[in-house]
Amino acid sequence: MRNRIREQRRQRSLSQAELAAALGVSRQTVISIESGRYLPSLPLAFAIARFFDLTVDKMFDPDDEEAGA
Amino acid sequence: MMTFIPPRLRKPGIYALAGLLFSAAWLVQGGRLWWVSIPALIGTVAGVVRLYRLGGTDTDEGDRVGSRADERQQLVSLRSRALACNLAAITSFIGLTAAIAVKGTWGWPFLVTLLITGYGYLFGLGTYSIAQEGTPDLTCDKLVRT
Repeated sequence: MRNRIREQRRQRSLSQAELAAALGVSRQTVISIESGRYLPSLPLAFAIARFFDLTVDKMFDPDDEEAGA
Repeated sequence: MMTFIPPRLRKPGIYALAGLLFSAAWLVQGGRLWWVSIPALIGTVAGVVRLYRLGGTDTDEGDRVGSRADERQQLVSLRSRALACNLAAITSFIGLTAAIAVKGTWGWPFLVTLLITGYGYLFGLGTYSIAQEGTPDLTCDKLVRT
């Protein structure tokens, strides 16, 4: 599942550690989600989408099997 | 009770308690090997310090040891424990089977471990499955007329 977290984070000039702190997860988890190696839970997916002022379906694309690069 | 203890001290605290009990066991038995309690105690102190330091690092392991694991780290931990339990069960089965084959009297610890892992699994299924189960909503079912 592809996601736009890295792209959105870079647009806002946020580091992975800053995003992790804002979401209440570890930096390693942000790295895993960005690279598509970990699919976040529904509450975390909503928290991510809300943080970037996007909807979940705009943030995560289930049709794309490729990891978000 | 755990909530009153700072997260970073929880795992080292449990380790310290276990180490103290282990050390005390050697001392209480009072035999020739009472002195084993001393290296056991030294090992415990070293382990507690190592865990405390590890708990302060910005790594997956540090987050787990520091009791601040997020959902992914908890999932990883859960999978690791499930794997450890599977291995314990498989090893116990092999040990028990070997003990039966050679008519050994040393098979009972394997049997105990196998029973604990087996019943633990069933207990977990029962507990967590019931916790997640809800009552079915039959409202729409009743509307269907045959």
